[in-house]
Amino acid sequence: MKKKLLLVDDEVEICEFLKSFFEDRDYQVATAHSGVQAVEQVESFRPDVVLLDIQMPEMDGLSALREIKEKYPRVKVIMVTAVETQDRIEAAMRLGADNYITKPLSLEYLEKDVQEKIESLAGI
Amino acid sequence: MTNLTRTNRQKKTEQKFDYQEALRDVARSMVRLKRPDRLLKLITRFIDRQFGLHHTSLLVHEPSKNRYVFVNSKGARRVPAGLLKFDSDHPLIRWFALPRRKTPFQEDYLLLTDIKKTLNKAHFRLAADSRASELVKVQKTMEVLRVELVIPGYFKNDLVGILMLGGKFSGRFFTSSEILFFQTLAHDCSMAIKTAEYNQSLLEQNRELENRLQEIEKLRHKEQRTYYEIIRSLAEEVEAKEPTVFGHVSQVEKLGMMTARELGIDLSGQHKDILSAALMLHDVGKIGVPDHILMKPGGLTPEEWEVMKSHVEKGAKILEPLSDFRKVKEIILSHHERFDGTGYPRGLKGEDILIEARIVSVVDSFHAIVSNRCYREGRSIDFALQELEHCAGTQFDPQVVEAFIRVIRREIAKGRIDVAALQH
Repeated sequence: MKKKLLLVDDEVEICEFLKSFFEDRDYQVATAHSGVQAVEQVESFRPDVVLLDIQMPEMDGLSALREIKEKYPRVKVIMVTAVETQDRIEAAMRLGADNYITKPLSLEYLEKDVQEKIESLAGI
Repeated sequence: MTNLTRTNRQKKTEQKFDYQEALRDVARSMVRLKRPDRLLKLITRFIDRQFGLHHTSLLVHEPSKNRYVFVNSKGARRVPAGLLKFDSDHPLIRWFALPRRKTPFQEDYLLLTDIKKTLNKAHFRLAADSRASELVKVQKTMEVLRVELVIPGYFKNDLVGILMLGGKFSGRFFTSSEILFFQTLAHDCSMAIKTAEYNQSLLEQNRELENRLQEIEKLRHKEQRTYYEIIRSLAEEVEAKEPTVFGHVSQVEKLGMMTARELGIDLSGQHKDILSAALMLHDVGKIGVPDHILMKPGGLTPEEWEVMKSHVEKGAKILEPLSDFRKVKEIILSHHERFDGTGYPRGLKGEDILIEARIVSVVDSFHAIVSNRCYREGRSIDFALQELEHCAGTQFDPQVVEAFIRVIRREIAKGRIDVAALQH
């Protein structure tokens, strides 16, 4: 079965870029551009890992994280933050985020982290 | 058919011409643009339009974090601005940033096709060189980003930025003259970035320096103020020593300022403070004259008179540290000079005596005549004015005397001068 990854960012370009990157690596990828869409996609697409931008309009990343973790605690969520939103990392970790990564990000590190989360799921 | 060929040929020459034109544009832009980010944007757009590439990206070194961030990107495979970075230990960065050893690549660029060829050469693979495995990682990075050509930009020995280019839509290879052109661009951009960085740090340093200078100036001003206050209290002490002239200082100051205004002297800004201080402090040197001379009821002996006269120099000395009031010192030193040149301490004459000193001299003398002194009763105002007129041209500047008399007459007429208070 293909590894399933949900990318959530209000910037479509970012989603598209990362989508093609992960698709090249044999992931099945879905995208969402708001917190509301993200929760919907988690319900319908059932991803293994969610890459969730912390700052978005219409339900931000933290609220989406809370809902996702309440309904689907097994889904691994990696928060994506910018320098100016770093103060929200602590809140995200308390809400059950599995890791965070700061923009600008290193593709190598991102891939490794997503891979690790998937492996940890398989291990359970 | 022929027409088409000609158009194509024309296009080709136009394109070649454009490179040079573009380079000149870049050079001009660098002078114009203080912020290199606009220049970099311009260059990315130019490459994207001119060469028809799948992908054009520019990475710039961030010295504070020691990383290389994708700042501009164009094309189908573009990297959103600010999304990706290479840390300084990334294989691609290490490849260009480390002191370059002898490699199969003599030039400062990497072509994906060259890498493939090189890696296929058995002797390169077998040479147990870590460089080979590094190159494999570089190749992987380029493939992930769909990059065919990487051009580093250096300033001196620092890797400042990197230009990453995808393949051409036409499927053709890059020509060596194109690569040379990209290298020139990368070099120029690096210089622009470094220059901007340098300017920025200079600006910050300047600002810092200015702030410090302002602070120092403030402190100095405060110090001067304190010193001025000390001298004022000294002047008051002098007054207290001659109880009959109590109130002298403020009276002299008031009349002196009015006379100066009457003469049309510039009293803007510091000029006003200087004259005011001189009028108030002109006798501060008397603090250094022994009381038995200062308060002697009868006439002074020639020796005692010499000591008395020294109060002008003593006053000037006391005021020396007040650099903001350098002129005050000069005025005080000269307030016993006479218009005809027979005064003390230097025997200055006429216009050589500061106008402020000539004013102090008139007002001070007037006050001395009308005031009760320890050695005699004060005279009437009319008598004093007659005395001033009598001495105009010898002891006093006639113009100052005239102005002063006008002031006194006007003030008396308006009832603003209390004759009794003047005389004590």
